[in-house]
Amino acid sequence: MEPEVGRLEAWGVSKRFGPVEVLDGVDLVVDPGEVLAVLGPSGCGKTTLLRVLAGLEAPDAGSVTLDGDEVKGPAPTRGLVAQHGGLFPWRRLRANVEWGPRAARRPDAAAVAEELLEATGLADFADAWPHQLSGGMRQRAAIAQVLANRPPVLLLDEPFSALDAQTRLRMHGWLRQLLMDRPVATVLVTHDVDEALLLGDRVALLSVRPSKVVEVLDVGLGAGRDHSVRQDPRYMALHRDVLGRVMGT
Amino acid sequence: MADPDQAGQPDPEGPTSHAPAEGPEATGTGHVALVAAIPAERSGRRRSWPRRLLGLVVPAAVLSVWWAATRFGWVSSLVLPQPGDVLTSAHDFVIGPSVRQLPGTVAFNRAFVPDLVASLHRWALGAAVGVGVALPLGMALGLSRRAEDLLDPLFQGLRSVPIFAWLPLSVIWFGIGEGSARFLVFVAVSAPVAVATADAVRQVPRAWVESARMLGTPRRALAARVYVPAALPGIVTGLRLGLTLGWMTVIVAELTGASDGVGAMMAGARETGRLDQIMVGMVVFAVVGLYADIALRAVARPFVAWSRR
Repeated sequence: MEPEVGRLEAWGVSKRFGPVEVLDGVDLVVDPGEVLAVLGPSGCGKTTLLRVLAGLEAPDAGSVTLDGDEVKGPAPTRGLVAQHGGLFPWRRLRANVEWGPRAARRPDAAAVAEELLEATGLADFADAWPHQLSGGMRQRAAIAQVLANRPPVLLLDEPFSALDAQTRLRMHGWLRQLLMDRPVATVLVTHDVDEALLLGDRVALLSVRPSKVVEVLDVGLGAGRDHSVRQDPRYMALHRDVLGRVMGT
Repeated sequence: MADPDQAGQPDPEGPTSHAPAEGPEATGTGHVALVAAIPAERSGRRRSWPRRLLGLVVPAAVLSVWWAATRFGWVSSLVLPQPGDVLTSAHDFVIGPSVRQLPGTVAFNRAFVPDLVASLHRWALGAAVGVGVALPLGMALGLSRRAEDLLDPLFQGLRSVPIFAWLPLSVIWFGIGEGSARFLVFVAVSAPVAVATADAVRQVPRAWVESARMLGTPRRALAARVYVPAALPGIVTGLRLGLTLGWMTVIVAELTGASDGVGAMMAGARETGRLDQIMVGMVVFAVVGLYADIALRAVARPFVAWSRR
């Protein structure tokens, strides 16, 4: 199933904070159902870019549109998952996932949440508090919380960077599967080349600050790939190439 | 282990403590002097019996020295009454005149209940108005830059006036006794509650607010759905502090002139030199203050349990 909605475009997006120029004319297009990994060195303004796409920051120049409509502020059409997740610690997991549908006054909020808890393997923990969950479960729950709004666009800000290496590997497989089951245009911001190549359909490389997109690469390793793809010579060549550019630029 | 909500870790991968440090200690007032006025949280840890018994050693020693000092006449009973007399007075005060009347004195005659009710009444009235004013004021100060700019300088100035510096004005405005006592309690309760509420609201992480906005929470619903629940641990700390200070204020207000109340009883006892009765009053204040705080914490616990790990 190909969704028709969820075409996110950014044209000439620039942003500065005082004297610090963070973004310098970023151009991006994310097609419906596609995963675009945005890869760049630390401190290059990846998070700022994502916040502009989310509508939490207004760009100084340029524009962001979703399906042709200008993005003017935060809205549930773009689900943002931050580095440490956005779960509300004073709500149990179920209430956290129901938050969006309830805010939208959807009568089927409970059913939507139940379905997502099921899909994210968290149904058994619906009555747990966020602090009782492990880091991996919390990030899964944060993604479920955002997906409960059925957003056309999913924005992920280094969602697995706080996790240990093994949990991160498992989360990559899990997210790839989830996004195959329910395609949603996704921008995944990361500094991890493996994460970008495993999850992204395309990879946009950002330069150092002030950032712009220096190149967009097609990954082309197949949608059903898992971690075994890392033994693939094509993957290794791509990894070497991308790492060289990230380190070099 | 004290918290039933937290029993039974459902997490096979083991808990991680990665959530922001927003415990009741972290949020709320950062003023050492204020925090010292309320009993410290014991982080849910029960002390074992041997350790509890250890805690009785010093009080027992003090009591022994006290008893010996009065029994053997090292100290005049005009300065320090005998422990037994204090017990007798307490019995008279709470239950009724005992058979063993202290020679040449008037017994309490079970004044305990009406006195306590009178004191609690003053406390409740002052505290209700104080909390009713302070919570919205604190929310406004914490939420709105405009309100903060407008009200904070005046508020900070007033708050720096010691409670009992209000006493002369309060007596002139509200008369000795009832009205004055309520006003002082109001002042005592409202300041810490408003400060703690404003602080706690300001310290709500922006990420939670942004997250709520991204999920579609309307701007006007943010206060009720995000700020209040997220700030609640800090607000509860402020309430505990305010109510404790308010209770302390009741006694001083009553000491300065009230017809009834535990403080008035103590003022009367001072006139007649009844140190035993004064000590009974002190114990009553301590016990009521302590148990009121425990009760408040018990009521608040389900709402702030998430912040304690």
